Amino acid sequence: MTEHADHDHEHHLPPKSSVKRWLVTTNHKDIGVLYIITSLFFLVAGGILAMMIRAQLWTPGGTLLGGQGYNQAVTSHGLLMVFWFISPFAFGLANYLVPLQIGADDLAFPRLNAMSYWVYLFSGLLFLTSFFLGSSLAGGWTIYQPLNVPAFIPEVNQVGSLATIFALMLFVAAVTMGSVNFLTTFYRMRAEGLRVRDMPLFSVSILLTVWMMLFAFAALLAAVILLSFDHLLGSVWFSTAEGGSLLWAHLFWFFGHPEVYIVFFPALGVMAEVFQTFSGKRIVGRKWFVIAMALVAIQSFVVWMHHMFLTAINLPIKTIFMATTIGISLPFDLMVFALIYTLAKGKIRFKTPFLFSFGALLLFILGGITGVFLGAVVLDYQFRGTYWVVAHFHYVMFGGGTALIGGLYYWYPKMTGKMYDEFLGKVHFAMFFVGFNLLYFPMFVVWETPRRVFDYAAEFTMWHRLATVGAFLFAASFLVMIYNMFKSLHSGEEAPDNPWEYASAGEWAVPSPPPLENYPGVPSYAGGKLSFLTRSEAADGGTVVEQEVAGTEQTAPDGGAIAHAGAAATTPTTDYAEELALEDEHADHASIWPFAISASAFVTFLGLSGISKAYFIWPFVFATGFMVAYFGIEGGRREGFGWIHPVVMALGGAIAAGGAYLLAIDKGGLGAAIDGASVYFWLTTVGAFMGAATLTQLGFEEFNVPEPAIAEQWPFEAVSNVKLGMWMFLGSDVILFGAFIGSYIFMRVGHGWTDWHHDFIPEAHVVLPGLINTYLLLASSFAVVLALVAARQQNRRRLLGYLITTFLLGVGFLINKAVEWEHLFHLHEGAFADGWTFTTNIASSSFYITTGLHGAHVAVGLLITLYLIVRAYNGAYLGEEEADTIEHFGLYWHFVDIVWLFLFPLFYIL
Amino acid sequence: MASTRLYTVIFVTLMAFSTAQALFEFTGILDRAYWFALGVIMVLSTIKATLVAGYFQHLVHEPRSITYLIAGALVGVLALTAGAAYSIL
Ligand code: HEM
Ligand SMILES: [Cu+2]
Repeated sequence: MTEHADHDHEHHLPPKSSVKRWLVTTNHKDIGVLYIITSLFFLVAGGILAMMIRAQLWTPGGTLLGGQGYNQAVTSHGLLMVFWFISPFAFGLANYLVPLQIGADDLAFPRLNAMSYWVYLFSGLLFLTSFFLGSSLAGGWTIYQPLNVPAFIPEVNQVGSLATIFALMLFVAAVTMGSVNFLTTFYRMRAEGLRVRDMPLFSVSILLTVWMMLFAFAALLAAVILLSFDHLLGSVWFSTAEGGSLLWAHLFWFFGHPEVYIVFFPALGVMAEVFQTFSGKRIVGRKWFVIAMALVAIQSFVVWMHHMFLTAINLPIKTIFMATTIGISLPFDLMVFALIYTLAKGKIRFKTPFLFSFGALLLFILGGITGVFLGAVVLDYQFRGTYWVVAHFHYVMFGGGTALIGGLYYWYPKMTGKMYDEFLGKVHFAMFFVGFNLLYFPMFVVWETPRRVFDYAAEFTMWHRLATVGAFLFAASFLVMIYNMFKSLHSGEEAPDNPWEYASAGEWAVPSPPPLENYPGVPSYAGGKLSFLTRSEAADGGTVVEQEVAGTEQTAPDGGAIAHAGAAATTPTTDYAEELALEDEHADHASIWPFAISASAFVTFLGLSGISKAYFIWPFVFATGFMVAYFGIEGGRREGFGWIHPVVMALGGAIAAGGAYLLAIDKGGLGAAIDGASVYFWLTTVGAFMGAATLTQLGFEEFNVPEPAIAEQWPFEAVSNVKLGMWMFLGSDVILFGAFIGSYIFMRVGHGWTDWHHDFIPEAHVVLPGLINTYLLLASSFAVVLALVAARQQNRRRLLGYLITTFLLGVGFLINKAVEWEHLFHLHEGAFADGWTFTTNIASSSFYITTGLHGAHVAVGLLITLYLIVRAYNGAYLGEEEADTIEHFGLYWHFVDIVWLFLFPLFYIL
Repeated sequence: MASTRLYTVIFVTLMAFSTAQALFEFTGILDRAYWFALGVIMVLSTIKATLVAGYFQHLVHEPRSITYLIAGALVGVLALTAGAAYSIL
């Protein structure tokens, strides 16, 4: 251990005993641990709410919490468990293990990984804060509409409910960053010889999970962004009589059904691995298992309307979705049979991880069968809104959770270097399993109990009491677990590299806990088993590559094949001599900015929750001015002053001053403006300034992450990590903007496509401003293309020129838009005598919000352009590789352009 | 990397198509043959988007798998839009 500690020091990473270490670390193992601990914290938070719910249900119509309190408890319990506990718990394991399993030394983007974690943590804190801001959302975790827009919930405090929505938004941001990071890692950093399909099954399950996350969460993001505008600006997306409520259901469940697999897949991966290890058998039909999983991942996007059987959607579509739902249960059956058959064939050792995984399988089977009932339209008419649903999804979801807990026991020795106490583990399992069934099974029996209501028929009382007793037993079992983990950390037996006979995935070939850099050399599976390549200098001055087979046991790529090999072999080879660096390329592992940026986001969104519509934009205007000026200051300070720096600083000052001037006009004097500002305004402003400063620091920070010299990269060999990451991010943005556009189309179809224009849109809304903006944006895209050419040709002056052109065209776009909006806001035309604003009708809401969000993307792009200009002035980005940054920015900018190419006809012409 | 000349041709095409789209409204074709105009306008937008993605973002020179990634996202969100719109017809 001391050796590792010293090693850590070399990388400017404080020791694990210091708090600072945990604030700055970007190492995947540290962050994995942080995720696990944080998710358990939210499990406790959600669990306490659950106990209150069960206590209230001790008698029909209990009074412990009061109506509003009960609704909040039910809603928050659901949100906390689904979002802040279960997936982050799985991703704690994934963070720790995926790089070890695939032979990478970290995730592709370590700072982004830290950012995901911190944003996740702060999103959860914002969620918890919402309780203290009056009231958090109280309409159920599905946040159905219009029951959660302000007009329909006068009793719910607006600040708290908006804070809840923002918490979700931040959470989704964290998830998206994480998905991009994992996908890039999976596709670009596998050890030599490791094919995607041969990865250990836990890694396979995580790969499929992050694919679903990337796409599904973008739809949720779209939904909560629209909802936040309904709260903040009074737009009418979800309160519109024709379709607002259905729009939410579609967006939410398009996310929601994949989400249930997002929750369950990691559990499936754990089950597969634990079963293999503790039965000593490779999973039966492995290939089909993987294919089935991939099929389910795809199918999960076409079953969402089975959650909408009781809405106004038409019968043909219900039938179609009933069929697709049956379709998705088929591959699932296959997986379940493969798991069962593996056990039947093997010789089982009943250790704690196995018990939990096996329990999970039983629970899941019961949950799955009851789900099939719900998937039948006719039966669902009966079951919807009852405790049948509650019981079903707890069996499936927490069935998954059960396997994940098994995973925690399984990998605990790897992460801590200590064995857990087996006896206490078994006690935990016994209490857990009995408690679980005592808690949830009665819900099937008295399924006629209405869901989310604390009243029920008196004859059900006995069953509900049984459930409550079960709940307390269940909760108590976790105390045993926590005690076990703490105690073992101090006084547990030392764990060897591999405490489990037959475990053969990559993580078991390195010490427990693994050193910072994971492997003693470059891992390779080229020979069919894990070995480590190191290059050393030969006596004659040449180089030899030594290959050392990992451990004494053979480590198989897929962690499945089991055989005992002889002693370690050392085979000198020379194939890689060129690519293996003699000395480790320096890699950075510490940055404070992910933490600082996330903290700023917390403050900003806390402020936004209570800011009034009239003040909403100003903190961002001022912060933008500050950020621009700060670019000038930091750029000059770090890279040497030139004429560009004072110009940029002046520009920043002008933006801020101009903002102050406009604000003063708007509010009748600067004094009046300041007097009218609430504490929330100041919070937002402080948060936005912090964000501007910390993001700038992150931009200027030197942070070196070497890409692996030798790696399996199918099917993305020819792109760099950053470029692939950028495209992954754009993939999710396609869904985000697609969902905005889709929402508009849906609402317009709902109203009657061709009546829309006549009914909702003023004459003054004409084509010309849109056409001009199309020209401007296309020209700016062209300028970026030329900038890239100039950068590649190492022509600094032309690079600067084109970047500045891009900037000016973009500014022109925004000014033109501002003029147009200003005009429309203040119309005095027939039907729109009070102007055409956010709140006027669904057409105005969708126009302003969709094009406004696009405009925000333009504004962000312009900030980046300014940053690029400052750096380019001092000679950055010149050369083939150096120009990559310009290229990556271009990908974003052209994407924004493409979105506009559809917004223009849809919102201006048709 | 394609040549600056190709980029220029594409840029001019993009500007021309955008103008053409607006002309449907200016000339009143949109009022007379709404659905026809809608079809043509959306096709033009799709071509424009393809040009930008293919050449400005140079997808044509990247591994095909990146195109599949974006196509996958597009198919997903079209399924959402089409399914949702159909469900209320
Ligand atoms: C054979 C597989 C499954 C089928 C056929 C199925 C079917 C259904 C159906 C039709 C509903 C809607 C019930 C209603 O609201 O009336 C539902 C609800 C639900 N299912 Fe499943 N399900 C399956 C597996 C899963 C899995 C694996 C999970 C999670 C890991 C899950 C989680 C949920 C949740 C959370 C709800 C409740 C949503 C809400 O709050 O309204 N299901 N299921
Ligand atoms: Cu579902």
